[in-house]
Amino acid sequence: MSDIQTTNQSILVVGGGMSGITAALEAAEAGYDVVLVEKNPYLGGRVAQLHQYFPKLCPPNCGLEINFKRMRINPKIRFFTMAEVEKISGEEGDYDVGIKISPRYVNEKCTCCGKCTEVCEVELGNPFNFGMDKIKAAYLPHEFAFPMRYVMDPSIAGTEEGKKCHDACEYGAIDLDMSETHFDLKVGAIVWAAGWEPYDASKVEYYGFGEYKNVITNVMLERLASFNGPTEGKILRPSDGKTVKTVAFIQCAGSRDENHLPYCSGICCLASMKQATYIREQYPDCDVSIFFIDIRALDRLEDFYTKVQEDEKITFIKSKIANITEDEETGALMLEGENTNTGEQIRMNFDLVVLATGMVPNKINTAPSPNVSCDEYGFLTYDPEKAGIYGAGCVRRPTDVASSVQDATAAALKAIQSIARR
Amino acid sequence: MGSYDPSFAKEVFENVDFGDEIKMCMQCGVCAASCPLSLQMDHSPRQIFTLIRAGKREEVLGSQAIMLCTSCYTCEVRCPRKIPVIDVMHGLANYALKHDFVPRKDTANFGGKFWDQIYRIGRIDEKDLSRRYFFAEGIIEGIKGLLGFSDIGLRLFLHKRIKPLPERKIKGIISLRKMLDKAEKMRGRGGASV
Repeated sequence: MSDIQTTNQSILVVGGGMSGITAALEAAEAGYDVVLVEKNPYLGGRVAQLHQYFPKLCPPNCGLEINFKRMRINPKIRFFTMAEVEKISGEEGDYDVGIKISPRYVNEKCTCCGKCTEVCEVELGNPFNFGMDKIKAAYLPHEFAFPMRYVMDPSIAGTEEGKKCHDACEYGAIDLDMSETHFDLKVGAIVWAAGWEPYDASKVEYYGFGEYKNVITNVMLERLASFNGPTEGKILRPSDGKTVKTVAFIQCAGSRDENHLPYCSGICCLASMKQATYIREQYPDCDVSIFFIDIRALDRLEDFYTKVQEDEKITFIKSKIANITEDEETGALMLEGENTNTGEQIRMNFDLVVLATGMVPNKINTAPSPNVSCDEYGFLTYDPEKAGIYGAGCVRRPTDVASSVQDATAAALKAIQSIARR
Repeated sequence: MGSYDPSFAKEVFENVDFGDEIKMCMQCGVCAASCPLSLQMDHSPRQIFTLIRAGKREEVLGSQAIMLCTSCYTCEVRCPRKIPVIDVMHGLANYALKHDFVPRKDTANFGGKFWDQIYRIGRIDEKDLSRRYFFAEGIIEGIKGLLGFSDIGLRLFLHKRIKPLPERKIKGIISLRKMLDKAEKMRGRGGASV
């Protein structure tokens, strides 16, 4: 990796999701050298996993494609997948950053012919679909993956299985000798856009996630609804693959809760309403109930809330559900709560329950941690005294894609200022 | 609808043990549906909290719910605002009794007899406690009450869960009473730290 020349006039962007891509592009198109590192074998992050955006209900892929094109034609951007930041030292205008690249075992000769997948017999839970289906251990991360290149799982790299894949490749694209590499970068500013993780829903014990098959999370439903998801876009129950007649959404599954995430995750209300429209589109007879504490549809997003409320088959019930029990035979789920508008006890049965889990920011995890400021929940804040490393997108606050893009543009400007000050 | 009167809410915030914790409630209702006794309660904890804010003094202090809490802690563990629901409910029950509300006579009666016995001998003697509890309402009620539980009593006796002889006082009964007296005094001063 000795060919990577950077100076203290370069900008490092950590994270290849929508925020990171935006920050990198904005800075590069302003004429600055940018290096982007991404942990996954593909760019696009969480956005690549979405079926539709709210409130326009359009597919995220077109926006991603436009950005990938901007990246391809811009020589100022260099990006690395399967790359993670190991250490950060120095200060504004003069950082030394250690990068680790995990082996992909597939080089640039890959044509995506798929021969390796054909011969490979080892299967893994598909991380792109949250383990809801299986993929071969030599695989393309997903249909629209950018860069369009296969990956081999390290578990088979040193085995007979790996050799079989190697021999099947006609282009010499599989390189079983690849190993972890490390290199150092010199940069003047860093944009931390590492994104977020869905809150671990199994921690909210009384919802039975992980125990009841038909209790899923909002990010999983997004994959179920996607045409390139595990069910090719059909929303089916995980327990028996059947269609659904009743679906419940449980809002604030972990968010706004002092025992879990004390903050509001900001997007889950709109996400659930959006997902309710997926279900209604596929199943005209399906009844959808959305259980909420408060609906937080800010600003013009309230129009979407009004539109969803007009659907007679979507009911909003003001209640934090306190318990879910499963009928072991049918897989049906009984929800208990108190309707806080009427005071009545709720005991309702559903085929599928979707937990609206919140966002946990991916913090800067290098040791020692560089000089940055965070709020009490781990979101990066901006402190002029600690300039040089800037958060962008969901590492700064739980937010939607449009706001992340704006935030990333702002972060790019701050990063440019850090360099220009030198 | 009458005008909004915050005086009862203020009374609770200032005088009831843990009363000011109610301010944290965001009315999600998770306490209500977590409660194993919610179906017996005339008002769920959430409703009690909102009735306090609405100034419904008689309805709150006369509510069975505040004396039905068995301290199972399910609501308290789940409360997203970490309200010590149990302490609040017990605080309200105590406050109600002090102000001549007796939402559940038998619960109050049992609590009183239980406390008396702890103070007297430093431990619980089930035979003596149930006798005192059942006969508090007179001889006829007492006999009826005892007969109602005779089956359980007999079986407890056969399984040696009830000793035939009366329980003796604990060794340090004088010291225990001193502690209890002091605790009572601290409570009188409004200290919730007892």
